[in-house]
Amino acid sequence: MSKLMGLLVLLFTFESFAQLDFCNADLETFPVQAGGRDKPFYVLATEGIRFISGDAKVGTLTATEAFCQLTMKGFGIPSEIQINIKVDHPEVKTLLRLQDDESNIPATSLANKMGLIEAELVRIKENNSYRKELNKVDQRYKTYLAITQGRAWTIPVAKNNTVHFVSAAEFLTKEKVLDATKKSQSPVQYIFEQAKNEYLKVKGDGYLLELKYYKWNLFLWSMLLSLIGIFLFVVLKNKLPGTIITVLSLAVQVSAMAMRVMISGRAPVTNMYETVMFSGFGALVIGCIITLMRKEKAFVIAGLAFNFLTLMMMKFANGMLDPGISPLVPVLRDNFWLSTHVTTVILSYAALALSWVLANSILIRSRFFKIDSKEHRYQVDLIYTCIKFGVVLLATGVILGGIWADYSWGRFWGWDPKETWSLIVLLIYMAILHGKSTSWIPPKRFVPLVAAAFLTVMMAWFGVNYILASGLHSYGFSEGGALFLGSFFLIQILLLLVTTLKINPQAEQFP
Amino acid sequence: MNSLKRTYMYIENILASLKFAVFIILVFAICLGFGTIMESSHGTDYANRYIYKSLPFMAIQFCMFLSIVFAAIVRLPPKKHLYGFYTIHAGLIIIFIGSFVTYQSGVDGSIKLNPNAASREVLVSREEFRIKFPSRGKEASIDLPYSASGENLNTNYQGIKLGTFIPFAEEKLEWRPGKEVAPSSRYRIHNDKVSEELFFSLNSKARFGQSRKLGPLNVHYMPNKKQANNKTPVLLLHGKVASYFDKVTKTWVRVTLNENKDTPLPWMGLKLRLLEHHEDIYPEMVPYYVDPVQDNGKIIKGSLRAVHVTIGNHQFWVRSTEPTTFNFGNELVHLEIAKKQLTLPYEIVLDRFKMDLDPGTQTPASFESFVTVFKGNKGSEKHHIFMNNPMKRDSFTFYQASFFPISEELFGSILSVNFDPGRTWKYLGSLLLVLGSILHYFLRRKHKVSNTEFA
Repeated sequence: MSKLMGLLVLLFTFESFAQLDFCNADLETFPVQAGGRDKPFYVLATEGIRFISGDAKVGTLTATEAFCQLTMKGFGIPSEIQINIKVDHPEVKTLLRLQDDESNIPATSLANKMGLIEAELVRIKENNSYRKELNKVDQRYKTYLAITQGRAWTIPVAKNNTVHFVSAAEFLTKEKVLDATKKSQSPVQYIFEQAKNEYLKVKGDGYLLELKYYKWNLFLWSMLLSLIGIFLFVVLKNKLPGTIITVLSLAVQVSAMAMRVMISGRAPVTNMYETVMFSGFGALVIGCIITLMRKEKAFVIAGLAFNFLTLMMMKFANGMLDPGISPLVPVLRDNFWLSTHVTTVILSYAALALSWVLANSILIRSRFFKIDSKEHRYQVDLIYTCIKFGVVLLATGVILGGIWADYSWGRFWGWDPKETWSLIVLLIYMAILHGKSTSWIPPKRFVPLVAAAFLTVMMAWFGVNYILASGLHSYGFSEGGALFLGSFFLIQILLLLVTTLKINPQAEQFP
Repeated sequence: MNSLKRTYMYIENILASLKFAVFIILVFAICLGFGTIMESSHGTDYANRYIYKSLPFMAIQFCMFLSIVFAAIVRLPPKKHLYGFYTIHAGLIIIFIGSFVTYQSGVDGSIKLNPNAASREVLVSREEFRIKFPSRGKEASIDLPYSASGENLNTNYQGIKLGTFIPFAEEKLEWRPGKEVAPSSRYRIHNDKVSEELFFSLNSKARFGQSRKLGPLNVHYMPNKKQANNKTPVLLLHGKVASYFDKVTKTWVRVTLNENKDTPLPWMGLKLRLLEHHEDIYPEMVPYYVDPVQDNGKIIKGSLRAVHVTIGNHQFWVRSTEPTTFNFGNELVHLEIAKKQLTLPYEIVLDRFKMDLDPGTQTPASFESFVTVFKGNKGSEKHHIFMNNPMKRDSFTFYQASFFPISEELFGSILSVNFDPGRTWKYLGSLLLVLGSILHYFLRRKHKVSNTEFA
């Protein structure tokens, strides 16, 4: 403690540091280590501040400035910064005496109420949503403490051509600052620059790719291009502009995914965020392939539409889909199986998503617009094509999963919820394909059934993780998705009711 | 003969029909969905016993098998545009056969390896009831049924009668009349953060001790003694009276306990309440069936198994948590519920267990076991087992499954052990299924295109 106090007294003597000029945008490129990887300070700060407050900014300060100021505040440097800690659950709000419309609490106020949270965590045995939120608030506060105590920010120390990382609290010693005062007017900045330069000499600047990945926001551009592509295909008769924009959207998305692969060193299908990303991309690719085979633009429009939806989720549903790149559990560290089993299953979901988009578009058109029986039959055939792609890919994916499980765990099939639900999806679509040849599923029933069958895909994809939440595939588990899934189910069921319950004169024509 | 043929044709038509296929697929899918909900709420073991490995579920799978077989049979002799269809159905039939072979003859177990110690015992997932007569060196085992609900074993082995088997049990307290007069009491000790019930009895039939340690606090049940010399944090319970040493006044404090009122204690805000006190009856914990409860991936209720045993006039429960020893005539008999064991023809020694962490974190990046397999006179072999890199020895495959700490830096390893005679069948069936699906898709397309051309 006396060592820290000595350092504080020393730091106060340097005006530039005391005014926190040091905490600026230049720090974004500073190398740190977190989550098992070297990354730019920008990523650490953004992820940390967003986790605590639910926002990437603190007032007018960027995440980089806020993270730095909070750390330096821990060293006793005066700062006006006040960060609020996110609180979502109504019962937790009541516990912390927050109003219903308040969704956060100042960290300084929460410090006095942590005893309440700890007591509740001991009292509540059941792992319900209240306990989960208590845990989350506890983790957010601990992250805040780690930042303000200088433990969250790791600094590279190069020695004998290797680099190891130490916490800011350990790194910023009185001796170092005293020594730096002889060389620079801004000693702390000088120390950090030296550390960064030493790091760059040993490990290079490869870690800065992640900064470009986040700053360039390529998925946002791809989302806008997908939207423009849909517009061009629907409005213009000439397919060329839409085709160019689609290719451009794919190229941008491939670039973003390639960057992510280079950063993580693995196939981009290891968590919910990545599977959503890959499914949209896969739907567009499959849509383009079938379009080329069948000379029918409906597939590429459906692909663009689903891709747009998934990119929207990635952009706006960060509470549910964590964009961070985290270490994998040991059993998943096999790029061959990740690149085969998981990608095949996600591609199958993508193909089935195309059938879902087409089925819903026919339902809406049949209900609210005119569609003749020939067109209806043609559209049913388009859906059928997508389902066949989906079923073949899903069967392959499920079997590849069995082989991987046999190779890694010694059993081909273990009734794990994820694999069981994949099988359920396969069975449901097989039942539809078989039933299509019977009197049970005529074309007028086929379309709503396909739209409804996609709910099983959503259950296998999201429901197992957000609702059932157990089993060997627990690596992809995240919270906040139950509401999304419930809303999706509700909207789809309402759409089915609206489009099928009322006797549609058009539907009568489609036996 | 004709009627028999007509009956066969009738059954064949039903089993081969698309409607039956759709029906049985949907029934199978609904059962699977129900199974995943059961697993989520009650755990994997319960879901396996209740659904996946139950007889009705096997029957549904058999109906699917029949549907697949007959659907192929009625479409013979072979037609070119159905080659994909035949391949898919052949693949499914082979997968079913492979799965049945695995179910009948496969082994799925685990072996626990302590560092530098030889092991050859594989624990398999099924359980048995063991009866041992150590003095005679005699041992018998009775397979326990793999069911989700309680069953009567109705087995008698040399005068030892096995009755009800409960696969998922919790214990409840029952007060039983005792032949002797002996005090028994139940207390609750609690503060804002913890609450614990304490049972004590001096009855010779009761299975409760007379002392408990609650963190730094020692609790002793001594209804017949009024004083003690111990001045460390100690709580003495004398039935309806409690006493403790007060460090401030340096005297022993005696308080009379009230059944409706908490009595404050001088440690950590703890309070004590007498819940029950009896002289003529004694408490006994009795297992009863519960649907197990899974929370956050762990079974929090119903993890106990119990078998009711009758020996002569004595009746008691044997629990999976600990073996029971009983004095039977003039010899001891050990009774226990344990996993079945398989002895390997070689020994495995864990030379070293290595766990790498992700840089700067406490997150495991890899688990690795360095083992030596000793084959008797045939020498030894070194192997390196880690995730996605199993060891194959004879027909068995050993996979890195888990680990357990022994000291701060020393770990033991758990390998899952597998023998799957149906593996080749399942791989072949899978290959045919995938190839058939692709073939079916393209053949049907060509068939359709050619039809269109003719139309």
